[in-house]
Amino acid sequence: MSDPLARSPIRPPEPVVVLSGWEVSGRRAAGQLTLTDCTPLAKVSLRADLAGPAASEVAVPFGRAHRNADGVLVVGSGPGEWLLIGPPGRARQIRASLDELVGEPLSVTDLTHGRALIRLTGERAADVLSAVCGVDLSDAVTPDGAAFRTAVAALATDVVRDDVAGVRSYLLHCERSSGQYLFDALMSAGRDLGIEIDGFQAQGF
Amino acid sequence: MGEQRGGAMRLTPQPGEVIDRSATIDFSWNGRPFTGFAGDTIASALAAAGERVFSRSLKYHRPRGLLTASYHDPGCMVQVGDEPNVRGAHRLVSAGAAVTSQNTWPSLRLDLKAVNQFAAPVLTAGFYYKTFMRPRFAWPLYEAVLRRFVNGGRVSRDTPPSRQAKRFAHPDVLVAGGGPAGMAAALAAARAGASVLLVEEELHLGGHLRWGDEADLAALANLGAQVAAEPRIEVLTDAVVLGRYDGNWIAVLERRGDLGGAEAERLVKARAKTLVVAPGLIERPYVFAGNDLPGVMLSTAVRRLINLYAVKPGERAVVLSANPEGDAAVADLKRAGIQVLRVEDARLGGDIVMAAGRAGVRSVTVADGSQISCDLLVIAAGWTAPTSLLNMAGAVPAYSPRAARFLPDFAGLPPEVLATGGLAGDGSLDELTGHASAAGAEAARRAERVGRAWRQAMPGNRAAAVPAEGGAGSTDPSDDAKVLPDLPVDSHPELFAGRTNGFVDFSEDVTAKDLRAAVAEGFDSAELAKRFTTATMGPLQGKLESVNAAAVVADAIGTSIAETGTTTWRPPYVPVSLGALAGPAFEPVRYSPMQPWHEAHGAVPLQAGAWIRPDHYGDPAAEARNVRERVGLIDVTPIGKLDLRGPDVANLLNLLYVNKWSKLEIGRVRYGVMCAEDGVVLDDGVTGRLGEDHYLMSTTSSGAGAIWEWLENWLQTERPGWVVHVTPVTTAYASMNVAGPHTRTLMERVTEGVDLSNEAFPYMHVRTGRIAGVDDCVLWRIGFTGELSYELHVPASFGLHVWETLLDVGADLGAAAFGVEAQRILRLEKGHFIVGQDTDGLTKGFSAGLDWAIKLDKADFAGKPELAWQHEDASGPRLVGLQPTDGSVVPAEASLIMVGDHIAGRVTSSRMSPTLGRSVCLAQVEARLAEPGTEVTVRLPTGRLITALVTPDLAHVDPDGGRMRV
Repeated sequence: MSDPLARSPIRPPEPVVVLSGWEVSGRRAAGQLTLTDCTPLAKVSLRADLAGPAASEVAVPFGRAHRNADGVLVVGSGPGEWLLIGPPGRARQIRASLDELVGEPLSVTDLTHGRALIRLTGERAADVLSAVCGVDLSDAVTPDGAAFRTAVAALATDVVRDDVAGVRSYLLHCERSSGQYLFDALMSAGRDLGIEIDGFQAQGF
Repeated sequence: MGEQRGGAMRLTPQPGEVIDRSATIDFSWNGRPFTGFAGDTIASALAAAGERVFSRSLKYHRPRGLLTASYHDPGCMVQVGDEPNVRGAHRLVSAGAAVTSQNTWPSLRLDLKAVNQFAAPVLTAGFYYKTFMRPRFAWPLYEAVLRRFVNGGRVSRDTPPSRQAKRFAHPDVLVAGGGPAGMAAALAAARAGASVLLVEEELHLGGHLRWGDEADLAALANLGAQVAAEPRIEVLTDAVVLGRYDGNWIAVLERRGDLGGAEAERLVKARAKTLVVAPGLIERPYVFAGNDLPGVMLSTAVRRLINLYAVKPGERAVVLSANPEGDAAVADLKRAGIQVLRVEDARLGGDIVMAAGRAGVRSVTVADGSQISCDLLVIAAGWTAPTSLLNMAGAVPAYSPRAARFLPDFAGLPPEVLATGGLAGDGSLDELTGHASAAGAEAARRAERVGRAWRQAMPGNRAAAVPAEGGAGSTDPSDDAKVLPDLPVDSHPELFAGRTNGFVDFSEDVTAKDLRAAVAEGFDSAELAKRFTTATMGPLQGKLESVNAAAVVADAIGTSIAETGTTTWRPPYVPVSLGALAGPAFEPVRYSPMQPWHEAHGAVPLQAGAWIRPDHYGDPAAEARNVRERVGLIDVTPIGKLDLRGPDVANLLNLLYVNKWSKLEIGRVRYGVMCAEDGVVLDDGVTGRLGEDHYLMSTTSSGAGAIWEWLENWLQTERPGWVVHVTPVTTAYASMNVAGPHTRTLMERVTEGVDLSNEAFPYMHVRTGRIAGVDDCVLWRIGFTGELSYELHVPASFGLHVWETLLDVGADLGAAAFGVEAQRILRLEKGHFIVGQDTDGLTKGFSAGLDWAIKLDKADFAGKPELAWQHEDASGPRLVGLQPTDGSVVPAEASLIMVGDHIAGRVTSSRMSPTLGRSVCLAQVEARLAEPGTEVTVRLPTGRLITALVTPDLAHVDPDGGRMRV
């Protein structure tokens, strides 16, 4: 029996390499408008009373996202619902840290495999997204750190604005099986603007 | 004088021309080669070469030439390649384009359909209500002949499908119209801090300044430079606002000619906080005999041709002028070397009586009776205000006899819609741009107020919202109306219908006489006369004809234009292709992690909702046999899976399932059925208990989303005090069912951490462990197929790895994949019903063979009252197993079960059973036929009747279920 190899629902373009036990693309984009399959990132769901002690400790309100001291991105996805996103392989650690939260009852569920996660980066990222998403992407309405759940290309999708080094960037995630469809829709929307696929790299998340 | 290069009618370079004489473009017109310059429209290039006739009219097939030389020109619709209904006076020439006239036969010049002109007395408006109807047997002939005479271009079936795009925009201010007023408003709004979307119908900004005098061109250059330098203004040219809907939801059609062909249009859906309407004015034709002859043009057409395209519209001109623009046209004509033989000044009693000619105007009769021979008649009779966006905003304009046009009802406009420019009044260029600047600044101020109100309602953004302190003035709505200055309104002679009968609607071939006849027949209002004559119902949708029509109808009725009014302005403002409205086809598709394996092994795809599933791999009967004899593997990832946690999960299960769930031990699995509140079967699945307060529920594949919502609905609205967290994990797990006699052998080779013996892990239990090296896998021992089987739920990213490992490791055991069809056969052999297949929207619990499951002694559960009533009244239909007497006949599903002529049921599932070598079915039948051993009559779709017997159990194979429990 071979070692287990983890795969994203999004087909990686050549060259295909293995990184942290995941099959990913080793491609590097030349331009600055890029789409990256970030499905290998650890993703853990937390459900707790929206006004309880656990919510206060997590301290990220509904509609916002914030990196905590461990470098984990905590997203307030819904009232009493959070998604924690961290580097590949860290799901168990994140779950353990949540189990220490006070306030019953909590649900901590590993959704690393259940969500496809895509990063769209570039000065014109909003132009790409506005072809498939009706939400107002201006700074006044969805600034860096805003999190919202909406329809992207007719698919229920969570979006987090998470700028990288001052460059506009969005994390989009959907239930896993539609991952390829979402990726294709974003590539199609960005075609005229020269969007390129950039392979997943674990560091710098 | 005209230069030979660039066409016989081409002038020397004009100061405002938009053509690039260094770039020539070759194209063909009705098969003949022509050359234009880059920047020429099809019409201007042809006009430069001396062409005057571009089309034939709808009904009478009269020759038509340029009237407005703009997008709205009714005489210039042409076919370009495979694209019909192209506006020839707006579309630029492109290299190699094959341009042809539409609906002309055999040619534009000699159009035999012009015979219609002789039939004119019969072809009056509404003729089709009265003619070509009898005798009835001739109707197919009439239809065939009439079809040849229908106007419009040709659509080719070989045209590749277009790839339309859409875009969402959220400007603070949307300015409709990019003339001087629109540009000024956009600048003022942007400088007040607003983001602006400026939408202009033509290919360039500037409106009437473009074909104006030196001062106009200078003003254009100045405004244009300012707009270009303002980063907060996004300009869309060759784009038109199609409509304004509630809440300033605005549709903009962008014609992206640069992309050409398939992607030539994009629909922009904009939610603007405020809308500034600055469309200017559209010049209106005058109604008189011969007003549709080639060579009769409006003053703006002449000025466009001369100033934008350096084209001489004729040699010898007569002019009717009622306004300064008409006078300016006279100056342009003279400057271009055209002989101006007579200027009839309508302000001094001048008038045009009629124009005469065959293929073009040859002479004109004027007010004093003299007849002047000429080849060009220029009409400057007045202006129509395109108020449609204001009408759509709920403010009906009022007619002003002084101005001879409709003016906006400013007081009736909602606060987020403003009007400016020529639409709003008259005045000098400075007065108009001054008004527009004030409107733009005001629009920005109101937009800020609207934006703040919207953001107040959003969760989570308060900390980040930028409290814009810009935008002068109060934000009190009651201050809104006072800010804009008044514009003067100049007087203008009322020139609508002249002394002789002429065309009112050029596109629909409707004359003033037609309208008067309609009124005489009783269609005595603008709305009725429109529908009877079809006036204003053509591609222009009333822009050139509605006011003239109103004038004629008002005169015929004996009232005023103000009282008659025009018909309702509705979106779209201009015709829009269905492709642009449809946009890209967003159809989410869902794939399992094992999809690459299915594709590589010849799976025939089955579309199940949004999922693509493997139906079979070539021989479903063999796949089914392999499961009964060896071991098979099926990808069942689409099965709904819900992770349930919390102290109240058992309460929820008891509430929503018909059976009992209070005493399910950890590690056990139970089958459950859910009914809706009307007792109708909603879904079924198995639920297992993984921990104290932790359960995993499975649902049908098609019900996955609906059951998630069902659970959340009950929790949030009916039992908000319960604590249950529902997390969908349908696709977090790759699910596969391993079934067959050799299953345990295979599973023991790949599983760690689980004792797979029957004693340690009996039927209807659940365990977690490591499979093929992958941790956190869930194993259920359940059996849809009726064989020893395990349903594995593997963290989805490892699904393909585990699947391939199982097939590899199990090769010597005969492990092979089976698809959905084989599973259908296997489950039918076992009599397992499928919700939605063997039940329908009226099938209540006791009609689905669920008597054993429905626990009416439970305190309460969804559907209980209806189920209790159904139980009392035992006459409803029943689900039974059926075997046709002739086992080689496989009745089609939905075949009816008959008692005489009475329908007593139907076959719900039907297959040939490879295990039994005969057909097996499930059926819904009336209770009186449900006794085992009853013979029923089945009516096949061919009409043939066969007999079938009701079986003792629903299961046809191994009814005791012994094979699953080994």
